[in-house]
Amino acid sequence: MTGRGSDITFIVDENAPMEEVARELAKQLSGRQGALFSEGGVSINTGRRSLTAEEKYVIRRVFEENSGLKVFRFVSTIGDYVVESDEYLDDPPRRYPWRFLQRRGTPRTLAFDRNLNDFIGGSRRNRTQAMLIQSTFRSGESIHHYGDVVVLGDVNPGSEIRADGDIVVMGKLKGLPHAGASGDNEAAIIALEIASPRIRIGNCEAAIQAAGKSQKRRKRGRGTETGQPSIAYTRKGAVYVSPFAGRFARYTKGVLYDG
Amino acid sequence: MMGKTIVITSGKGGVGKTTTTANIGAALAMRDHRVVVIDTDIGLRNLDVIMGLENRIVYDLVNVIEGKCRIRQAMIQDKHGLELYLIPAAQTRDKDSIEPTQLRELCAGLEQEYDYILIDCPAGIERGFKNATAAAQEAIIVTTPEVASVRDADRVVGLLEASDLHRPRLIINRISADMVRRGDMMSQRDVESLLAIEVLGLVPADERTISAANRGVPVVHDARSTSGAAFRRIAARIDGEEVPIQEISPRPGVFNKLRDMMGMKGRAYSHA
Repeated sequence: MTGRGSDITFIVDENAPMEEVARELAKQLSGRQGALFSEGGVSINTGRRSLTAEEKYVIRRVFEENSGLKVFRFVSTIGDYVVESDEYLDDPPRRYPWRFLQRRGTPRTLAFDRNLNDFIGGSRRNRTQAMLIQSTFRSGESIHHYGDVVVLGDVNPGSEIRADGDIVVMGKLKGLPHAGASGDNEAAIIALEIASPRIRIGNCEAAIQAAGKSQKRRKRGRGTETGQPSIAYTRKGAVYVSPFAGRFARYTKGVLYDG
Repeated sequence: MMGKTIVITSGKGGVGKTTTTANIGAALAMRDHRVVVIDTDIGLRNLDVIMGLENRIVYDLVNVIEGKCRIRQAMIQDKHGLELYLIPAAQTRDKDSIEPTQLRELCAGLEQEYDYILIDCPAGIERGFKNATAAAQEAIIVTTPEVASVRDADRVVGLLEASDLHRPRLIINRISADMVRRGDMMSQRDVESLLAIEVLGLVPADERTISAANRGVPVVHDARSTSGAAFRRIAARIDGEEVPIQEISPRPGVFNKLRDMMGMKGRAYSHA
């Protein structure tokens, strides 16, 4: 827990279970130390974990019930990049559809506010911010983001990305992606190469067949799937993968990703 | 000059962390540096065996940290008379016997007097890994060109980056050029593209590495071995020297030897 000017930043251990964090926080805040925090704003840094809406709600409740503090933002760190989220918070809407976020080091993170959707003509989906990951997403790393996720690098085997919106990978996708994780079958996964053993979109799940003759034949026969920019999407509960050749790529005939 | 603490880690066991530590330590000492190697694999110590010093152990790392002896008393000098010292791990204790901060303090003390402190990290990503990585400013990841080993290395890179050990460097160990050419082994390129970190060196599979380890004499002392030469080049790179990465060629034929002597670059792999 660190104080910085008039703000206080709470740093939550990214590996601790949420109940434990909440319990510990309540203890801290209602204890003697808590008396110090009679009023003010709180920023929550969750490290490499991104919280779900419920978890955020729990944290906010803990603060509001045990102290005079008010949570004004949640922050998480992906690699070197600080990602800010302010969904579910009652800040007044920002004037600009996008803004550059606070950064560590040289790279920059661009976050899209919900206003951007109005700006480009609106969206049916509940997507508010894109999370930009500017590094290789490695084995054992896992993220759940309530908007779109863009990775500028490979997504390696053994990693998991859950996004309520789309997942875009400017590299090879070999981890386990779940686009439309809140149940949105309209979501899509786009990558320079899709080589995941399993793909999930909304409520649909597809497994790629173990590398064998059939896969090779499919690759030769229809000229899709590996080694080229691809898009995965769902049609009638099945996951399809087709070459990504621009905006309407998802409407061309794809190859069923299910073996 | 302040010394540097480097952790040698891998995630997966049996990829050659300990052998690499012993060899880089010896190679750096042969370059007239003062080097300390610390075995943090408490309960499963091996570095002493590979350096051939198991008979000289009196005190160990846990003794030092618990204040049972002075650090000097636990440091065993290399038997070739190099400025190379080993702090062995305790065999009868476990990883919980030391705290990450204690190892950090120990290394901070050693950095005042020595040029390089190499930490041999245990396999796994639990307590022993946390102890070892907390003390270091730089990390070297050892992997073999096998899918399982590379997967674990990938995980470790992620963990190191999360704990502010940025830019770890990679040693690919036990490359068999023949197997790569036959397509039975991941090539250096494959490993490099998956892990996306800087390569510090390539070490060919070499029977001499094993026989040297069994004799307790690190293979860098063997002037004729290819792996020994690879470790010497790695030490030079750690030292800040610009040594081009040599691809592992299938057989050290006359032509290759001639080419190496003339300082020409190795042929690029055609392997996809």
